[in-house]
Amino acid sequence: MSEPTLCNKIPIQTEEALKKLLSDTGGRQYYQEMKTLEVDSRKLWETIQKTCKSRIRTWLSICAHCGMCAESCFLYRINNRDPRQVPAYKIQSTLGEIVRRKGKVDNAFMHMAMETAWAKCTCCNRCGMYCPHGIDMGIMFGYLRGLLYQQGFVPWELKIGAGMHRVYHAQMDVTDEDFTETFVWMAEEYEDEYPGLTVPVDKVGADIMYTVNAREVKHYPEDLAEAAILFHLAGENWTVPSRGWEQTSLAMFAGDWEACKIQVESVYDAMERLKPKRMVGTECGHAHRATVVEGPYWAGRKDGLPPAESIHYVEWLAEALREGKLKINPKKRIKEPVTLQDSCNYIRNHGMKEITREIMSYIVEPGYFIDMAPNREHNYCCGGGGGFNGIGLYREQRNKALITKRDQIMNTGAKLVIAPCHNCWDAIRDLEEEYRIGIRWSFLKPLILKMVEIPEHLKPKKTR
Amino acid sequence: MFKKILFATSATDACDHAARVAFDMAQRYNADIRVFHVLGIPTRGYSQVVVDVTTGEEVTLDDNYRDLVKEEIRTYYERQIQKTKKWSIETVIGFPHREILRIARDETPDIIVMGGSTGASGAYARRKNITGSTFQRVAKAARCPVMVINRPAASFWGGISNVLFATDFSAAADRAFDFAFALVQELGCEFHLFHALDVTRHETRHFHTQDIIDDRIRETLQRLRVRYVSKMEGYAHYSAEVWEGIPFVEIVKYGREKQADLIVMAHSNRKDDSDDDLIGSVAEQVVLRANCPVITINQAAGKH
Repeated sequence: MSEPTLCNKIPIQTEEALKKLLSDTGGRQYYQEMKTLEVDSRKLWETIQKTCKSRIRTWLSICAHCGMCAESCFLYRINNRDPRQVPAYKIQSTLGEIVRRKGKVDNAFMHMAMETAWAKCTCCNRCGMYCPHGIDMGIMFGYLRGLLYQQGFVPWELKIGAGMHRVYHAQMDVTDEDFTETFVWMAEEYEDEYPGLTVPVDKVGADIMYTVNAREVKHYPEDLAEAAILFHLAGENWTVPSRGWEQTSLAMFAGDWEACKIQVESVYDAMERLKPKRMVGTECGHAHRATVVEGPYWAGRKDGLPPAESIHYVEWLAEALREGKLKINPKKRIKEPVTLQDSCNYIRNHGMKEITREIMSYIVEPGYFIDMAPNREHNYCCGGGGGFNGIGLYREQRNKALITKRDQIMNTGAKLVIAPCHNCWDAIRDLEEEYRIGIRWSFLKPLILKMVEIPEHLKPKKTR
Repeated sequence: MFKKILFATSATDACDHAARVAFDMAQRYNADIRVFHVLGIPTRGYSQVVVDVTTGEEVTLDDNYRDLVKEEIRTYYERQIQKTKKWSIETVIGFPHREILRIARDETPDIIVMGGSTGASGAYARRKNITGSTFQRVAKAARCPVMVINRPAASFWGGISNVLFATDFSAAADRAFDFAFALVQELGCEFHLFHALDVTRHETRHFHTQDIIDDRIRETLQRLRVRYVSKMEGYAHYSAEVWEGIPFVEIVKYGREKQADLIVMAHSNRKDDSDDDLIGSVAEQVVLRANCPVITINQAAGKH
């Protein structure tokens, strides 16, 4: 069976292949080739037999088709309650069907499954909370994506994204040198304002090893500076690894299981090498899911935990504020209506709903914080999760998906939305661009920096 | 002095005046001019879609598009390029201030030249500052002097011969002085040292008497002499003055009176404690209003 040149079953392994795929503007040729891509049914069925274990098989078979999951799905609600958007239907008609047919599905079926897996589910896992049997369609869609990826039916941007992880160990073309260099640059840029600010690279035995999202390095390194400044002000003994610094995983969105493993192992290797007491990851939801929640299983770790205790940025921040390592100037607290985006990946799926609210209690003047409805673990996906934000082919569906969050935000009346997650931050920015509702959006770091008190001994000396 | 010029441009008419100055400098001082354009701002998560900064449209990035934009820039500056010996065009993706700072760090130009916006003042200037102009961010962090040409009136034709150095006696101002003095020496310019005594910090009823202000002016003039003139080793073509008033207004007025064709001053790195202070630093106000190019230098300038 001859494989097409761009859209095929072969993962991107080299920079050259990556560039070739990138040069196919918008994936035009890629999607053209996909139309004739053959399904390797034998391989598909073999894979299912090996990897589709009791949990998913049970879920597929015990679904009572009761439809209780329907209302839980924001995509169902926003798409005029189209029955084809009911989570149970979406998974039964794709993964369920592939299993029932023992992998004997055709190209048209795979196209339909691809659209369902990436444009009709953001893997937010909300439906799993509402299913009387506890069936989690988000988990199953994650699995389905893996099967689709194996067969070459994956959106162009995600094939690139997974390839980036394979080539650079990062979601973008940021090398290890770029990372260290950029972080050091940022420290230089701010050292006058914060004397003594440094970025300790590869320090063994630090209390904290900090990991980031490559986009921070590539496009808004201020985020790195802000992280460094806050660690500095909190008096933390911290470090960054020169290799294994990327916490995110577009490979997870893509369903490229092998790249997921490669990526997360690079971070775990850094932990083994530097032996930090803890790892703190940046304000990113899926990065936490990939590295802290799912990663240990990809890496085959028996205890289901990363090599070092690993926490989300909001956990570190809440702790620093609680323990007084960082002190907020009460006069500078937020004094305008403000709301908070609960990221599915660490609020619903990793239980940090009270942590973020604790942070709000320190940084928002009482009376100004307004929760969205619903909120906490019941909150809706931002509309761009699971890779949805970046896929050109499904832009229209994604923009429609943003309406849920738009309306939730508008109903709070807040003009400032705190979004401690890259995906949510992007989606909220995009919804403002798309629908112009007059909001601002922010990560936590820049907000904290505006209101944190600088300890006397860390203030710059007056030069006049 | 100006061997490597980094001309950061939006390649629209907002930068035409800056282009005239940048290319004029390149030709006059036989400098290498790098025309630098950030063509798109990344958007849509990790996708390849960017917002074209010129058209505001979303485009999918590829090499063809980059080449097309480069060609457009070349055509846009065709006339100036023809008269310039050493030039190159570079386009990148990113947030403009960050990418300008990035290339400046990599290539260590002697000066960054930028355009402002159209002649802005009042509410517009205020809004522009709030939204955070590229200039502010570049001026704050660049390690080399940053020249901004904001107003049409500020684009000169005749080179640099009359330089105004306005000081707030900060460490950054000392760096600005070193640069300005080296410049006037090399180019043989008239050099005007100036300080504006800020009388706006008091409510009207608490204004100092004119006697006190006059005393302060005398003291400050002495300070100018001790701090700067003493370092000028017999350089004759200079004047030193202290005026009282609103600093940025006085600097602009003094520049006009002296027919300055360049203002050099410090860009303060101090963080504003008050959110109300959205107008920005004195330097930013001077940039918005001056009739000539303004070079700002921050405390970090010269550090590599």
